[in-house]
Amino acid sequence: MESAVVANDIRRRYGERLALDGFSLEVPAGCVFGVLGPNGSGKSTFLALVAGAERPPEGSLELLGEAPSPALRARIGTVFQENASDPLMSPTEYLRFAGRLFGVPGREAGARAAQLLERFGLAGRASDRISALSGGMRRRLEVARALLHRPELLLLDEPTTGVDPEERRLLWETVRAERGGATVLLATNDLHEADAVCDVVAFVRAGRVVATGSPAELKRNLRRQTVRVELAPGREDAAARVAEAAGGEGVTQANGELMVTTDDAAALAPRLFAAAGDAIRGLRIEEASLEDAYFQYVRRRAGGST
Amino acid sequence: MRRPSTAAAVAAIALRDLRAVARARSQLYSSVLTPLIFLVFLGNGVSHGLEPSRLPAGNFTAYLVAGTVVMTSVFSSTFSSASYYRDRDSGFLRLLLSSPHSPRAVMLGKSLAALVIGAVQAAVVLGAAAPFVDFGWQHGILAGVALALVTVMLLNLMLTGLAQALATRVQSMQGFHLVMNLALFPLLFFSGAFFPVDGLPAWMKVLAYANPLTYAVDALQLATYATGSGGFIGYGVDFAVLAGLGGAVYLMGLSRVPKLTWSGQ
Repeated sequence: MESAVVANDIRRRYGERLALDGFSLEVPAGCVFGVLGPNGSGKSTFLALVAGAERPPEGSLELLGEAPSPALRARIGTVFQENASDPLMSPTEYLRFAGRLFGVPGREAGARAAQLLERFGLAGRASDRISALSGGMRRRLEVARALLHRPELLLLDEPTTGVDPEERRLLWETVRAERGGATVLLATNDLHEADAVCDVVAFVRAGRVVATGSPAELKRNLRRQTVRVELAPGREDAAARVAEAAGGEGVTQANGELMVTTDDAAALAPRLFAAAGDAIRGLRIEEASLEDAYFQYVRRRAGGST
Repeated sequence: MRRPSTAAAVAAIALRDLRAVARARSQLYSSVLTPLIFLVFLGNGVSHGLEPSRLPAGNFTAYLVAGTVVMTSVFSSTFSSASYYRDRDSGFLRLLLSSPHSPRAVMLGKSLAALVIGAVQAAVVLGAAAPFVDFGWQHGILAGVALALVTVMLLNLMLTGLAQALATRVQSMQGFHLVMNLALFPLLFFSGAFFPVDGLPAWMKVLAYANPLTYAVDALQLATYATGSGGFIGYGVDFAVLAGLGGAVYLMGLSRVPKLTWSGQ
């Protein structure tokens, strides 16, 4: 099996809205594959199709070398964006229950549950009620649950939401160690995380994949630099002058900064200072990042239009 | 690759629901205490205050036990279906629906738990009341209890099916309770649970005989309270109606199953 997931020209409609519009994607087996896109881009709809091993209404989907069927769900492990645990259960009960659902014999499920709780740093809380665990612990428990039946395809939807940096590191280290040869399909809005953990990423926009490649390839294709401009507080009015000085260059706004992608940052910087120097508090020049690639392909321009 | 057993999954879901009820102590106590309080106060109040001499044994408390057991089943099925909403809201339902088993197997597991919970609660109410009231036990105590439990299981099958059919269609738990109460409380009044059907005006009798709960009350009274079959509908009709309707309503409940949804979809 060379590809864990092959989606071909999938269309899916919810009422009037076309959630997937010719969605095509190939996920190589054994890799960590990131699906990145803004809210409403169709990535959740695609993940739901894969998690449910559903046949798409239009187009085709192949999972682990087979046509989708409910039985295939036994070979998939899913971490949903929201936790799926019963707060009244203990972590051990939750994992053993998941084992029974996914066909892991009782004794093996017990041993595997104990092993995963240890690996994810939850052994000390194995008998507590899940409602007493912290948010980060619950996320780790969710990942442990998804790994319990040794899936061949692991779906992770925002697995590190609400997880602090140290826990995040532990979580990814453990996923890497415990996944065996499983393919990981990761949906995240954290571009730094995607850059760090994904072998391949796909940018999704308006129900279709607009770019695919390794983070390095996507960044290399940009052949661009980013000039990050921080405006002084209360001087947001200067954003228009920065944009004007940037001319035809792409200007985006994120986290309170203006970002101008350019082929020649050395030439652009003096132009920006000449146009809005009185309002500029700081300016940094960066080589292209995955975030730049994301904005380039997904084109979320200042003002919020996509 | 192991093929997960659906029977094991159904059993696991049922056991987990049973454990959840056992842990929700307040719900457990109230579901048994409420009918008992009802039985003690209403039963004694009417028995001594109104002297219901038309009843065969003249004892309203003994008469009321069958109706109280039916009422317990109604509460029980409503409470059990609340677990559907809890699982949906906590996200647990997503785990169940992403498993290799069909949504019907998931619902079957939940119904099995509801049936067991309903039967246990009915047995507790019956067991708590029996020493204090004058039952006829016309078939003997063991056979009477067995017949009562069969009746309760058939009734709960119907009520669970109804609750599932509603739960998958009504978005909010408040709406679900409202619809269940609106549908089931009038049925309780026309079932012979609180007063005998045979003395009612003709129009009320029509409503009573069109009401499935009437057949559950009748069978329960035959099994526990009655000393003979005179004035009762009879087990044949009671069980035929309860089994037929129970099966049909349960299948209707399974006709619409929840689907795996995703945040952002």
